[in-house]
Amino acid sequence: MNNLTNLPNSEGFFGEYGGKFVPETLMHALKELDETYSKLKNNPKFIEEIDQDLVQFVGRPSPLYFAKRLTDHYSGPQIWLKREDLNHTGAHKINNTVGQILLAKAMGKKRIIAETGAGQHGVATATVAARLGLECHIYMGAKDVERQSLNVYRIKLLGAEVHAVDSGTATLKDALNEAMRDWVTNIEDTYYIIGSVTGPHPYPMIVRDFNAIVGRELRKQSIEQFSQYPDAIIACVGGGSNAMGIFHPFLDESNVELIGVEAAGSGLMSGMHAAPLNDGEPGILHGAKSYLMQDENGQVIDTHSVSAGLDYPGVGPEHSNLKDSGRANYIAVDDKEVLDSFHLITKLEGIMPALETAHAFAALDHIAKNYKSNQYLVINVSGRGDKDINTVATMDGISLD
Amino acid sequence: MEYPLTRLDEKILSLKNASKKALVAYLVAGDPDLDSTLELMHGFADAGVDILEVGVPFTDPIAEGPIIQAAHDRALKNNTSLTKIFGLVKKFRKKNVDTPIILMGYINTFLANIKALEEPYVSGSDAVLIVDIPGESDLKNIGIKNTNLASISLIAPTTSKERISKICDNSSGFIYYVTLRGVTGSSNLNISEAESNINYIRSQTSLPVFAGFGIKTPDDASSLSKISDGVVIGSSLVEMINKHSRKKEFKKIYNYLNEISEAISL
Repeated sequence: MNNLTNLPNSEGFFGEYGGKFVPETLMHALKELDETYSKLKNNPKFIEEIDQDLVQFVGRPSPLYFAKRLTDHYSGPQIWLKREDLNHTGAHKINNTVGQILLAKAMGKKRIIAETGAGQHGVATATVAARLGLECHIYMGAKDVERQSLNVYRIKLLGAEVHAVDSGTATLKDALNEAMRDWVTNIEDTYYIIGSVTGPHPYPMIVRDFNAIVGRELRKQSIEQFSQYPDAIIACVGGGSNAMGIFHPFLDESNVELIGVEAAGSGLMSGMHAAPLNDGEPGILHGAKSYLMQDENGQVIDTHSVSAGLDYPGVGPEHSNLKDSGRANYIAVDDKEVLDSFHLITKLEGIMPALETAHAFAALDHIAKNYKSNQYLVINVSGRGDKDINTVATMDGISLD
Repeated sequence: MEYPLTRLDEKILSLKNASKKALVAYLVAGDPDLDSTLELMHGFADAGVDILEVGVPFTDPIAEGPIIQAAHDRALKNNTSLTKIFGLVKKFRKKNVDTPIILMGYINTFLANIKALEEPYVSGSDAVLIVDIPGESDLKNIGIKNTNLASISLIAPTTSKERISKICDNSSGFIYYVTLRGVTGSSNLNISEAESNINYIRSQTSLPVFAGFGIKTPDDASSLSKISDGVVIGSSLVEMINKHSRKKEFKKIYNYLNEISEAISL
């Protein structure tokens, strides 16, 4: 399994997935980013600066918490929660943005752009840009602007400009398209902070590395708190950054099962979902080869998920390679299971998960029975659910006006 | 090894022998429908267009500005697929065997049709221009093995000198120089930068260098043609096609092409 940890190769491939499939104008910027990152990632000063931000600004390490009542509910394995929801700004996304903003600074870029789905990456980007006083533009699908209005307002309060994207399906993929177009146009002074382990090389590697702090902490905490590595780690997968961050430090630990949970939307059989690893084919979108929801002509299909952050037709290339190699398993849960799970976790544990994160919890209904009471499951609680209150109320038929 | 001259090579040679600048015109197949596209392709050729660039619509065309994006969407609403575009080229060839056709689009739609790209009738098309692959890529390595298809690559103002020579080595037909930093149809044309970059590209290759992205007026075309071997007109044509397609007043478009054609031959 050693060969999985040392990827991507110098061309940005994880097995057959990944690469750099972008318009020519961007090729130079990607090379520049790759070189800057390679130079800085082992630089003690750079590492120290990031570590200090992670501790003092983000609030790391995030706790590993025993979910006693949830464990009792399933009366199977011990269920533990990696509390990324307690990070500053409320999700794992900030781990990546505090790192990338330092790359932007090192490269002398004055203008920051980002795409966002649920708005968490938009908030995390606007936050670090505000802290450095950099101009910041966030691209967001018009549909997501509506269903994540609280985060839109947070981004604006942080001084960033939100650009609602009407083209295509008006969701995350279209926000990415528009951010790429901005980048092509403003390539000289602009740094693009991609928010997931997607996009052209070196982004899937950089975003994974900055999120891998989660898995590294878990290695230490699991030994300290229950004297072994987890038997299984469960994380939701849209683009897949929280999952990749917690999985990666365990790739060589073949006893640790890795389970990614995709959005089945209205159900895998309905075709109305966002689960490319479960029901897609390899293809190329947004600069990388990976599993993709597409039709027989190579056109990208509309996705459906209650969760804006998972409502994306592609997935990070490293996940595609982990799927093919069998190192990780990917399942999918539908919107209804997710809503039920949201209520269950909120009532049992006093923790209100983001709808994205609720996918990982909902997987317990399917898999908890496979484990014994002396086994340990860890769920990556990738974000908190405050942003989703309006969506949950609507789904429950309750008016908040 | 000597190969017989392709239709594209012959066109380029005849332009060179006549000391003429090339006029390349882009349109999106299936916008507003394939019958109109066929009519427009013939009309373009009659109006002085030397090479046709046929856009293959894609759901996520990241290099396109709003005008061409909207055209892709309109074409996709009509279910325009690469297979149907092959049919379009075949029909076009019944009346026109001289005007080279370049299929321009995004890698994913080509990959989904790899088998069809190996069929000999594809050779009614003469080249592919895939916007989202690195210019130095060998088409064979991404699965397109039809030797009848030339591979047109883009070079941008941001392309490093080292990569320019690699891209030139892996290209055939002509080099497409992107005149600006931006998407198609932008308006930040920089003629003096284009001139020095095109001169450098010419020092690296014997292929002709055409300039495109952001050329709108006969004046733009004229100034760029002076520093290159030809110009590519895209967004402004696509905009006119959309405006005039309801009443099929395509004559106005042909007049515009005539003006461009004259402007670059002065």
